[in-house]
Amino acid sequence: MIRTTKDDSTGVLIVEPGTERLTAANATQFKEEVVACIDAGENMLVIDLSQTGFVDSSGIGALVGVLKRLGSRGEVVVCGLGSDVRRMFEITRMNRVFTAHTDRAAAVSALAATL
Amino acid sequence: MLDAAEALKIVVVEDDYFQRTYAVSLLRKLGHIALEAEDGATALEVLRESGAKIVICDLDMPGMDGHTLVRHVRDEWRGEDESYVHILMVTASSQTADREIALEAGVDDFMLKPLELPILSARIASVARMIRHERLLEQRKRGLEEANTRILRDLEAASRAQRRLLPDVGRDIGGLRFHSEFVPSQILSGDMFGFFELPNGMVAFYAIDVAGHGVRASLKSVALGHLLTAAYFNSYAFAEDGSPDPARLVERLNERFFEDGHEEYFTMFCGIFDGATGRVSVCNAGYQPPWIARVRDGVSLLDLGGFPVALLGSATFETEHLTLDPGDLLVLCSDGATEADDLAGQAFGEPRVQQVVETCKDRPKMIPAHLLDVLDRWRDGRALDDDLTILICERTQPT
Repeated sequence: MIRTTKDDSTGVLIVEPGTERLTAANATQFKEEVVACIDAGENMLVIDLSQTGFVDSSGIGALVGVLKRLGSRGEVVVCGLGSDVRRMFEITRMNRVFTAHTDRAAAVSALAATL
Repeated sequence: MLDAAEALKIVVVEDDYFQRTYAVSLLRKLGHIALEAEDGATALEVLRESGAKIVICDLDMPGMDGHTLVRHVRDEWRGEDESYVHILMVTASSQTADREIALEAGVDDFMLKPLELPILSARIASVARMIRHERLLEQRKRGLEEANTRILRDLEAASRAQRRLLPDVGRDIGGLRFHSEFVPSQILSGDMFGFFELPNGMVAFYAIDVAGHGVRASLKSVALGHLLTAAYFNSYAFAEDGSPDPARLVERLNERFFEDGHEEYFTMFCGIFDGATGRVSVCNAGYQPPWIARVRDGVSLLDLGGFPVALLGSATFETEHLTLDPGDLLVLCSDGATEADDLAGQAFGEPRVQQVVETCKDRPKMIPAHLLDVLDRWRDGRALDDDLTILICERTQPT
């Protein structure tokens, strides 16, 4: 499901859900795969939602699950939010929980700056 | 010899007395129950009376020939529920063309004249294996069907119980009148709503959407339906000075339902309406923001966001206030409507819901049914993927 790309110069892991719709049908799998990356030692993550046009309530739950698993050991940010996903983030106030960047490059450099 | 359970009833159709008697004697030697028929019509009668599953038939017979008999058998026993009749045709080696016709008519296998015991024994044994297999499959199918019926009946009983939790709509309560629709995506819904008059004369209302859908979400929605009573609102939805503060109640629910290690959460919109002033105090916890339809004005989205309940232990919630004039509406609608996609994958979206509300705002009672109608067309008649709740709160004219 997920596609990961490691940014070698910063050590940031970029995660794409690999689905246009992050919903009840695949949210658990998504969360488990990202959690496996965290358990393998990744601690700076960018979730790139530019190819994911729709995230439902279960998808939001999965993203928060990832955040909780990472805890204070690292950082997770999102990028590439389309209008529907942005709306979902606003309604559920996830825009106060996740920092959203316009694209990958912006997200990676922002994360690298926190080092 | 075969024991009684393994002995098969086999109909032998042959006009020639000698040939028929010979076949019957071979079958009896193998331990089977041979039933004789001297022509096609008699064979059909014997099949009906005996329930035999195997026919050995000759091709050339006066009257109804072998081909015609096969067609009749295939018409009458269509193979549903263990009714398949296996047909073995006996032919002379010269009748190659006839065999093709017979195969088309539905013959299962051929044997050459004269019949020989080892061949007959092998063919019957093979058919017997198929019959045993069919019976086993049929038993399994029946078991699955029974289980399916039982589960469905259970779910439907649960669905009725869930609906009984919903309040009666259409009545006037403390200056509000409610209209609603409640459509589960899969028999049971992860949605819930309610409204009640409080001891101080105010009216409390809420709508809940548990993340996910199906049985698991519905268990939580029903639990919440039982928990959220007038007494609960009365105890927790007011500040110490007695003013309505629904955010307090939502905070309490967040503390109660938040669990570390789980992301099972729900979104909720709730409010307290004061009929004396028309003031509504609301709290939105991640629920699809409602629309306000003003008698003197248009329809607008009440753009309030808020954290969902039980997703984050540290979440805080806010109470907002607004005023409804007589005839004004507050339209609550779960995201089952806005997120409903059409065949091209396009979501219904907030503007389309708003349009429906605008069209019907003078006939609030019609809004839920009309919205369902428009959604049904949007979905091309396909059932919704997510549970849907529509709850209209209409401020009535003061008496």
